[in-house]
Amino acid sequence: ASATTAETATIFDVLENHLVNQNFRQADEETRRLLIQISGEAAVKRGYVFFSEVKTISPEDLQAIDNLWIKHSDGRFGYSVQRKIWLKVKKDFTRFFVKVEWMKLLDTEVVQYNYRAFPDEFKWELNDETPLGHLPLTNALRGTQLLKCVLSHPAFATADDNSGETEDELNRGVAVAKEQAGVGADKRVFKTNYSF
Amino acid sequence: AVSGNGLFTQTNPEVRRIVPIKRDNVPTVKIVYVVLEAQYQSSLSEAVQSLNKTSRFASYEVVGYLVEELRDKNTYNNFCEDLKDANIFIGSLIFVEELAIKVKDAVEKERDRMDAVLVFPSMPEVMRLNKLGSFSMSQLGQSKSPFFQLFKRKKQGSAGFADSMLKLVRTLPKVLKYLPSDKAQDARLYILSLQFWLGGSPDNLQNFVKMISGSYVPALKGVKIEYSDPVLFLDTGIWHPLAPTMYDDVKEYWNWYDTRRDTNDSLKRKDATVVGLVLQRSHIVTGDDSHYVAVIMELEARGAKVVPIFAGGLDFSGPVEKYFVDPVSKQPIVNSAVSLTGFALVGGPARQDHPRAIEALKKLDVPYLVAVPLVFQTTEEWLNSTLGLHPIQVALQVALPELDGAMEPIVFAGRDPRTGKSHALHKRVEQLCIRAIRWGELKRKTKAEKKLAITVFSFPPDKGNVGTAAYLNVFASIFSVLRDLKRDGYNVEGLPENAETLIEEIIHDKEAQFSSPNLNVAYKMGVREYQDLTPYANALEENWGKPPGNLNSDGENLLVYGKAYGNVFIGVQPTFGYEGDPMRLLFSKSASPHHGFAAYYSYVEKIFKADAVLHFGTHGSLEFMPGKQVGMSDACFPDSLIGNIPNVYYYAANNPSEATIAKRRSYANTISYLTPPAENAGLYKGLKQLSELISSYQSLKDTGRGPQIVSSIISTAKQCNLDKDVDLPDEGLELSPKDRDSVVGKVYSKIMEIESRLLPCGLHVIGEPPSAMEAVATLVNIAALDRPEDEISALPSILAECVGREIEDVYRGSDKGILSDVELLKEITDASRGAVSAFVEKTTNSKGQVVDVSDKLTSLLGFGINEPWVEYLSNTKFYRANRDKLRTVFGFLGECLKLVVMDNELGSLMQALEGKYVEPGPGGDPIRNPKVLPTGKNIHALDPQAIPTTAAMASAKIVVERLVERQKLENEGKYPETIALVLWGTDNIKTYGESLGQVLWMIGVRPIADTFGRVNRVEPVSLEELGRPRIDVVVNCSGVFRDLFINQMNLLDRAIKMVAELDEPVEQNFVRKHALEQAEALGIDIREAATRVFSNASGSYSANISLAVENSSWNDEKQLQDMYLSRKSFAFDSDAPGAGMAEKKQVFEMALSTAEVTFQNLDSSEISLTDVSHYFDSDPTNLVQSLRKDKKKPSSYIADTTTANAQVRTLSETVRLDARTKLLNPKWYEGMMSSGYEGVREIEKRLSNTVGWSATSGQVDNWVYEEANSTFIQDEEMLNRLMNTNPNSFRKMLQTFLEANGRGYWDTSAENIEKLKELYSQVEDKIEGIDR
Repeated sequence: ASATTAETATIFDVLENHLVNQNFRQADEETRRLLIQISGEAAVKRGYVFFSEVKTISPEDLQAIDNLWIKHSDGRFGYSVQRKIWLKVKKDFTRFFVKVEWMKLLDTEVVQYNYRAFPDEFKWELNDETPLGHLPLTNALRGTQLLKCVLSHPAFATADDNSGETEDELNRGVAVAKEQAGVGADKRVFKTNYSF
Repeated sequence: AVSGNGLFTQTNPEVRRIVPIKRDNVPTVKIVYVVLEAQYQSSLSEAVQSLNKTSRFASYEVVGYLVEELRDKNTYNNFCEDLKDANIFIGSLIFVEELAIKVKDAVEKERDRMDAVLVFPSMPEVMRLNKLGSFSMSQLGQSKSPFFQLFKRKKQGSAGFADSMLKLVRTLPKVLKYLPSDKAQDARLYILSLQFWLGGSPDNLQNFVKMISGSYVPALKGVKIEYSDPVLFLDTGIWHPLAPTMYDDVKEYWNWYDTRRDTNDSLKRKDATVVGLVLQRSHIVTGDDSHYVAVIMELEARGAKVVPIFAGGLDFSGPVEKYFVDPVSKQPIVNSAVSLTGFALVGGPARQDHPRAIEALKKLDVPYLVAVPLVFQTTEEWLNSTLGLHPIQVALQVALPELDGAMEPIVFAGRDPRTGKSHALHKRVEQLCIRAIRWGELKRKTKAEKKLAITVFSFPPDKGNVGTAAYLNVFASIFSVLRDLKRDGYNVEGLPENAETLIEEIIHDKEAQFSSPNLNVAYKMGVREYQDLTPYANALEENWGKPPGNLNSDGENLLVYGKAYGNVFIGVQPTFGYEGDPMRLLFSKSASPHHGFAAYYSYVEKIFKADAVLHFGTHGSLEFMPGKQVGMSDACFPDSLIGNIPNVYYYAANNPSEATIAKRRSYANTISYLTPPAENAGLYKGLKQLSELISSYQSLKDTGRGPQIVSSIISTAKQCNLDKDVDLPDEGLELSPKDRDSVVGKVYSKIMEIESRLLPCGLHVIGEPPSAMEAVATLVNIAALDRPEDEISALPSILAECVGREIEDVYRGSDKGILSDVELLKEITDASRGAVSAFVEKTTNSKGQVVDVSDKLTSLLGFGINEPWVEYLSNTKFYRANRDKLRTVFGFLGECLKLVVMDNELGSLMQALEGKYVEPGPGGDPIRNPKVLPTGKNIHALDPQAIPTTAAMASAKIVVERLVERQKLENEGKYPETIALVLWGTDNIKTYGESLGQVLWMIGVRPIADTFGRVNRVEPVSLEELGRPRIDVVVNCSGVFRDLFINQMNLLDRAIKMVAELDEPVEQNFVRKHALEQAEALGIDIREAATRVFSNASGSYSANISLAVENSSWNDEKQLQDMYLSRKSFAFDSDAPGAGMAEKKQVFEMALSTAEVTFQNLDSSEISLTDVSHYFDSDPTNLVQSLRKDKKKPSSYIADTTTANAQVRTLSETVRLDARTKLLNPKWYEGMMSSGYEGVREIEKRLSNTVGWSATSGQVDNWVYEEANSTFIQDEEMLNRLMNTNPNSFRKMLQTFLEANGRGYWDTSAENIEKLKELYSQVEDKIEGIDR
């Protein structure tokens, strides 16, 4: 957290402390609290972040949180880790949730997943079995738009952005995803070989 | 995980129990609450927990029950236990009578002892429990006090009732002035309580608990407990999670919305799509709103503006009009509306008012969706269930909203088992929102830019069958639709001149150099592209292997068949793909769609980019793919296939049950089309000669020529193969005049039956309503039914009455073949037809169009003398018929006529495509229920809890008695011990549950309805009243019935098990008799042995025998029987309803082996035995024979309730009647031939279905095939017409004849077979020639 100002250093102290102690359960709680806090007063009052508030979060703040997670998890936890996984599964949240084990396979005839119960069914220890990107949790109680905005935040924009897959054209509403959408749409070559 | 506690769900009230830590010197206050939904749980828990932390004066113990949980015996006992030491009881929204009574019984016992009882909007019997000090509602509905006067209007637990309570809250301060002060204090606290409750937030509830306990708990007397006044929220308004306040005015809301700084660019656009949301106030105030927030975020992220409105009452029609419609321009301000409440627009869980809802939605005039949050199940329970959504919720939140015209019952929110809180199901929310936006875009986009994918079907997969749909000339209809779309501004570039060319262009592969079995290929999709576009592709591999597979594939690519004209694509839906594979047909569950099927829909959505898909006619296979029955999840194939495309579906008006499956499982707006105008079958060939002979007998019988004529009648009747239907004496036999009359009477009666049979002639073309004269036969039949509820007498009753007879009496006499009665009935029939024709003639212009029936009628009615029917009847023996009654019935017919000829089918399609609301209407038989008319409505079924009705029960009894009598006659006077029968969805909708009622009456129980008319209970009829033994049953429910009426299956299973357990002698109770035997043989208990209600596995439909027969893909009858057993042996168990359908093959076989009778119902004239494959598909006659120890063939009967004179006939009689009136009847097949290509297929289909009957029942006479052969094959001219019009179908026909012979169902000459074989190779060549 070297790049952060003295003031922000204070707000991330608690998180850092938990992470240093490998106290992931509390670090996770604190991260969600922080996310609300850095999203502004309205979010604090409301108790959750509305997706459109994410773009007002400064990249530094998000990076600060992420860096702490990365640093204290051998690079296995954190938003940027989640982002890589998410891009790999073509931004399909169900597949992402399964990968990071926020969803579990049900014992039904057809393949179906359900959300894991929080906190009992989550893994609070970092070991070989802990899935990559398992923490911090951004739950899907209010859908996936918030997480989507976090993972698409400029804070995490990297060169491998387009290594991900084509952007679903229906997602054009998300401002930050716009540039990619353009690239993606062009990339898809439609066959003009209609046989009539 | 699912056990037998009699519940569909396993939620546990214990999660709602909060036990405080005991503290000395501080009293404990115990609160017990019962609510419909769980949203109060988290708020109340939070309130009590923080009270326990902070309050110094008391500890609070609380436990809550969800209404549905009280069905469970143990839970109910715990509830009663909990009440024993409770101080305070709270109840809310208890509207299920069964459970309301349970709550009342339990609370009543403790009411006097308890310190306070508070019940918020609920049924009156629960409301009366209210007590706060001197305040009591026990006088509710009786007292004259001004307080209760407020409840006076609509006091019956209706939506109005809840709304008047709300009104009460607002007006109370005024009322209180007039009450004595102490009373006023208690009443005031009650109102405050209501305000706290409706305020719902943890703070409000905390203050509520403080107030009530402080004021009424004796242990706290004297303790001063401070509480704040309720924080009031608007009753109705607009709510947005970011808004600083709730709005009561749309303008203010927009003012705020437009100044939002967080919004993205697309949201700022003036022309952004606007989605209106309807929310439940209680979710907002209690803070249980995550699922609502999810939908709002998803919509806004996708560039749609939202107007989320809420209401606290049960009537949303007012708020919808107020906030969604511009008060000045009367135009909607939203492009589509989505209710997230799950409830019907008016009435919520209480009494609905559909007409009022429809009125409001018509004003709104945008697509209206009702999405469903899980209420009675947790997320995991729903996911685990093959049924899908909880059946009670299906009835309340899927079936009832459909009556308002709602679409898309998408489960978008789950429920957490511990907190009871709702949460988003992220993928479902996404799909719902995209679909809502796309429906809305239909409203926004111009016609020129809209893209439409018309999808046609091909059953069985064969070139001759492209464009299959019940009663519909598909290509002529598509052509008519496209012509209109073009005229209306849609881009339909390159549309050919006529329907024939259209067919040619689609069904032939122009690219192919040589003849190819392929249709025109619209798109070749590479495997990689397919996988990219189809996220669920790998789920199909289990059944079909890696793509592309060999269906709709050239080995490298997946092929999409069809052709585009401008912005319209006409595509052919792939078929199931396993039709030809007997092994797959044997699987007890259905296979997934194949890759080609999925590729088709990926193409339509993602490459063609359709704005809407139009499924053309009844019906395709998408909605019958495996998945949950109702309330699908991400893993259900119909949901994945339809994806994000708005779906419009032209559906036959007479098939509401399957239309409902399409509506629920493919999210379709089902627009009804008319079945072709019916005509009387008439007489032909030998039958016509017979009728001429009979009339000469009537005039000459006393001249001495009688015996000779009778002898001719007998020989002609024999030639016509009537000897199996009528007992005919030998020709030479000397007969007395009386016997002669009797023979003639019987033949005459049979001839009349054939002649007057109604049959739909030809095929319907969308946009071409029948002419007035074509509607005559339909009107005559509409007039033949008594409609006591509308005080309309049937025309035949009126006519019979004026010659001093009762029509029922005439029917009976005619059925028996009493010549004078047959004659009288003939006269009545002729007079009815004549009078109706005369009337129709008078109301039509020279072109045969109806001219303003009502105007014309008024002028007619003014002058009785001119009434055309009176004029007509004055020349008959019925000249004295009652004029008032005639006027009533003809007034009604006038209305019906207007509706029959009305042309709304195209108009409604246009409305749907323009993103407008399509008015809903019931589906069914226009003759029984003219409300089905005019067509072009969004078809719905009915409230599934409303059946069987009392009227249906009465009809059911008659049919059961006739059936039993008939069987006794054939079986030495003995009652049948077991009847195996079929329950159909459509049949039960059309008749309001007659066949369901029949089953209940066979076992001797009667249904009991609650005050809302919902049938949830049964009670046994005593053996004395029944007057016969209880007859055992084996009930085979169609897959559609299972989906639509799972509650009724539950009821039926409960009834049968109850009967099995009655302490009665086994010779008077065959259910018990067999159940005891089976219990012993199988080593199970009697309840399990009494399993009698069977169907397919969830998400599977039909026995597949139909597929096997249509595709000739079966080896022997044994194989068909195995299919039946493996597919249909899934039982419903009312002791573990949550488990869904469980395989119980052993009990199924044992039960079937006791059957002496097999039985089905025919409910309407246009669907008879050989018209569809469903009837033989579900017929177990041969199967029962093979299962019976004595190998005796059971008697099979068909009840025919299509006419006023209900009949029970044997199956073989019915097959003969059907063959005579359809397949062999020139009027019928010529009508079909006039539809060309499709007509040939229809003829072939009847033949193929006839073979189906041979295969499952063996009840088809040889002469039927012989006659069919001479009609279609031996007649050179006919043969050539068939071959030229649709060679593919003709080839199938030849194949079917050869198959009938090869399988031993048709014994015929070697020449006949030789000719068929020769023709077969000839037509093969011909097909190649055409293709080249």
